Amino acid sequence: MRAAPADERLERVGSGEADYHAVVDFLHREAELLDERRWREWLALLAEDVTYEMPVRATGARSLETSVLPDMDHFREDHFTLRKRVERLETEYAWTEDPPSRTRHVVTNVRVFRSPSGELVARSYLLLFRSRGDTRDPEWVCAERTDRLRRTEEGLKLVWRRVVVDESVLRTQNLAIFL
Amino acid sequence: MGEHGRLERLVADVRQGWIPAAVYSDREVFEQEVECVFGRAWVYLAHESEIPEPGDYVVRRVVHDSFIVVRDEHGVVRVLANVCRHRGMQVCRAERGNASHFRCPYHGWTYRNTGHLVGVPFHEDAYGGEREFPKAEFGLLSPPRVASYNGLIFVSLDPNAPALQDYLGGFRYYLDFYTRQSPVGLEVHGPQRWRVRANWKIGAENFCGDTYHTPYTHQSIAEIGLFAEHRPGKRKEGVVYFADRGGGTTYKLAPGSFEERLRSVGYPDEMVERMAQTWSPEQRALVAEAGFIVSAATLFPNLSFVHNWPRVREGGPPVPFISLRLWQPVSAGETEVYSWFAVDRLAPEEFKRDSYRSYLLSFGTSGMFEQDDVENWTSITAVAAGRWSSQIRLHSRMGLSREGRLLRQPMDGWPGPGRAFQGFGEYNQRALLEVWCDYMQGAREEARV
Ligand code: FES
Ligand SMILES: [Fe+2]
Repeated sequence: MRAAPADERLERVGSGEADYHAVVDFLHREAELLDERRWREWLALLAEDVTYEMPVRATGARSLETSVLPDMDHFREDHFTLRKRVERLETEYAWTEDPPSRTRHVVTNVRVFRSPSGELVARSYLLLFRSRGDTRDPEWVCAERTDRLRRTEEGLKLVWRRVVVDESVLRTQNLAIFL
Repeated sequence: MGEHGRLERLVADVRQGWIPAAVYSDREVFEQEVECVFGRAWVYLAHESEIPEPGDYVVRRVVHDSFIVVRDEHGVVRVLANVCRHRGMQVCRAERGNASHFRCPYHGWTYRNTGHLVGVPFHEDAYGGEREFPKAEFGLLSPPRVASYNGLIFVSLDPNAPALQDYLGGFRYYLDFYTRQSPVGLEVHGPQRWRVRANWKIGAENFCGDTYHTPYTHQSIAEIGLFAEHRPGKRKEGVVYFADRGGGTTYKLAPGSFEERLRSVGYPDEMVERMAQTWSPEQRALVAEAGFIVSAATLFPNLSFVHNWPRVREGGPPVPFISLRLWQPVSAGETEVYSWFAVDRLAPEEFKRDSYRSYLLSFGTSGMFEQDDVENWTSITAVAAGRWSSQIRLHSRMGLSREGRLLRQPMDGWPGPGRAFQGFGEYNQRALLEVWCDYMQGAREEARV
């Protein structure tokens, strides 16, 4: 079920190409929407058949290969569950985001590929800074994301995202945020 | 006056349901817990299904003591102290994996996954060989007590701890609803792990009996229609029970047979059939006659359970899930949460998939219930750390009169062991902290009513 980009022949898109810039613009735009808590607009960037997953990492011996757990995730979402999460944040009772976090989605190291099906695949590093209240230490989540983007009439849409987080034990109070 | 007198006074308050906030923040209280609670109680480490194959292992802790839980080459589950017998290096630095041997990185002593020491570099030259240094005497140590129930592996660091069966006591009746829905039992996935700035007891207390927070803390969940049925008074109809060292909450089910009632929370027929065959008549009576089904629960000190049934698609039917969680203390003010998804191993694959979705939506790192729970717990812990605030006695006396009489009588004809009350009340939180008080005073003996 996992459309891992390693499964198919991907063609690297150079940083001078228009497709590369379209992807980078998409990622920057998305980060802006998330940091400004404009979740409805964020949802509009997702395809109806979106898959959004974030597996749990664990420390294995010797190799990083086995560090992604095959059977446990922080997120394994589709459009319905992401929408429910957004609806919840919009209620007056989402206490853990009231007062809200101040976040920065810092997106870097973007590499873009074209898949045989014509979709674009983007790999990026994400450093998420989360500050809340005035007494707690800020929290960080660092990850690599692999995205599959579909060209549509309304522009690029996210079809699949896999967030591979670097910590095995998260140091953030919860994931009441999107990555 | 001495710390001892201070602790005695604190415990005396707790026994009255007046909880000095220091209980959730104080360093000396925490040190005493490490000694008297985690040093003596049975503490959960892992489920056997996490290490199905010979050589599979996971590394777990009892506060700061690290243990390897491993299935050895003969299929026997062992718990080995993760401490090299030479100079104390950790012999396993991974969290999980498969190994026939554990080799210490410092000087290369090698242990088989049974714990036996099988390799010592320069054994003859350095130690005088077997005659002066018999390897059999230097295997990895095991904690004083290891036992399991329904595949749940527990250890106690106290050689004189009661038998696990006796420790669990009447709570076993309730434990089976989560961990034995068929003769085969659970498969457990995960855990998700994360650190929260909260004292470990707050979660344990909440899961054991706090039905009162649900309508308010979790109002957002109701508003977005994640539950087929939502009424603010629904939790009030539930019963909270406490038996020996564990207790939990239940929901009242609509009238119907055993089968109809379990179907109503989303169990497919074949699972209901297995439950009917697996549970005792007394256990079936909880659902069939009394009309209740288990929800959250805690076994002292820090193992909790959840059972709930949100919907996982627009307008879809409820889908039940089970989660196990450990409130692993890091310090007085910090807890590492381990949260597992659990499902009966014989459940249909489609049910397992939906149940997993149901879990991820509700509990764990991203769970919409858990998010708001933890917000309460971190905030309470921060308040409790204040020099002045730590002396405030928090109110945990719901269900008691001013003089301390019960406002409501325990349920008559409750089919399970222990004491059960219908409606809101902090009976269970008090009962759990009573057990805590007994351990803190080193007085926990057998036989509790
Ligand atoms: S400390 Fe392990 S071999 Fe020396
Ligand atoms: Fe809760």
